[in-house]
Amino acid sequence: MPAEGERRARILGLLVGAGDGAFGARRLCDVCAEVTTMSGAGIMLMSAEIPDGSLCTTNDMSDLIEQLQYALGEGPCVDAYKQGWPVLEPDLAHAENPRWPAFAAAAVEAGVAAVFAFPLQVGAVRLGALSLCRESRGPLSDDQHAYALVMADVAAQAILVLQADAPPGKLAARLGAGADFHYVVHQASGMVAAQLEVSVAQALVRLRAYAFGNGRPLAEVARDVVDRTLRFDAASGQRDPMP
Amino acid sequence: MPTEVLLAKALVELADTLVADFDVVELLTRLADRCVEILDVGAAGLMLAGPDGELRVMASSSEAMRVLELFELQAEEGPCLDAYRTGKAVTAYDLAADGGSWPRFSAEALAAGFGAVQALPMRLRGTVIGALNLFHVAVGEMRASDVQSAQALADIATIAILQHRASLEAQVLNQQLQHALNSRIVIEQAKGMVAERSGLNMQMAFSALRGYARKHNLRLVAVAEAVIDGSLASSALAPAPAPGRLPGRLPN
Repeated sequence: MPAEGERRARILGLLVGAGDGAFGARRLCDVCAEVTTMSGAGIMLMSAEIPDGSLCTTNDMSDLIEQLQYALGEGPCVDAYKQGWPVLEPDLAHAENPRWPAFAAAAVEAGVAAVFAFPLQVGAVRLGALSLCRESRGPLSDDQHAYALVMADVAAQAILVLQADAPPGKLAARLGAGADFHYVVHQASGMVAAQLEVSVAQALVRLRAYAFGNGRPLAEVARDVVDRTLRFDAASGQRDPMP
Repeated sequence: MPTEVLLAKALVELADTLVADFDVVELLTRLADRCVEILDVGAAGLMLAGPDGELRVMASSSEAMRVLELFELQAEEGPCLDAYRTGKAVTAYDLAADGGSWPRFSAEALAAGFGAVQALPMRLRGTVIGALNLFHVAVGEMRASDVQSAQALADIATIAILQHRASLEAQVLNQQLQHALNSRIVIEQAKGMVAERSGLNMQMAFSALRGYARKHNLRLVAVAEAVIDGSLASSALAPAPAPGRLPGRLPN
């Protein structure tokens, strides 16, 4: 097995090797999938134990992993971030210690068999988590695990370095391209807050509860609110979605 | 206790100060005290370079004025300054004979009762952050093993300080990242609120927020926050005229 330094060198080479060397968030996820030989990889940013959103994902499955955790507030990335160490679930459908009931049910139904999450941290500072997933169950090999650890370290530092160049108050363009920070959900929260005369935080809870209760993706529900095909107040003449 | 055991204990103790409540001055003060205990020197002190590149006394094993002054003098001349500038160990085993390049420092050190002096750089790869200064009462060479022990203690302290600095920098960058994300979220929420209250689409709601911010010379995020917390009514935002179409109520 290669030593840590060799792994780091390979990762850095892949990151800056393609194109003009000005890599962004999407490249981080692609390189992560390549070195760990996993089809699905994603990077989630978090603050105060709540997902902020997804910096990048490599395929539909990894996108779903991130979307579910954002909508439900539970899952491997959330735990990896909170605990500060890797969270490994090599057999999601038959877990020894079932965690995340809502997340696991939806992920298994979508064909996810195994999922692994690694915290993104620089010293005592935690940024989020890196996730890996695939359609076949089974643990990561030692080599895959070692690559994931180095990748998480490189990604955490790269995110901070990329953000350091951004104008104050703005997300760095190279981080934002391809990211999903659920802006439509926040727009919908503002609308629902106005409809119900509640805080935006409460409105977001109502949106999440509605999506979960109706078995629909949160992003889709939010899109309906923004498109004005769904209202949360009884005055609209539609049925109140949260009686 | 044999020197090796004392050294090992000191290294463990230093590593222990690296957890949670890291304090640079405390770490360096312990390091100075352990140098005196383990290495049989008269006094020890540490100087770190500030952002301006000037060396400052950070810790001393002795609070005696004469000793403290010896460190302060070295902002201008002395073995610490030389070790910091060259990144190499600097020694004068007989200050009366070899101290000529630092006339003021040598005179003061001899007057304070020290016969020999040594400065070890606090260095990690290319970065030199300061120097460890050892003062000996007797004239004569220091044992090679003691020099190695002193350098090991200085290296540990250097790594700790550099890690601490990197961690502080990461904290600041992470706060900036979070601030950027939160600003955008607040603006999206306010867009939704204005869109709902004033019957605008998202683009028009954004134009209204931005127009109000420009007109009143406010930051966009401050206007968005005021809308969210209710201190600024959506109706106070004049809808920006959209070219080719009239801003008005959209059908629900």
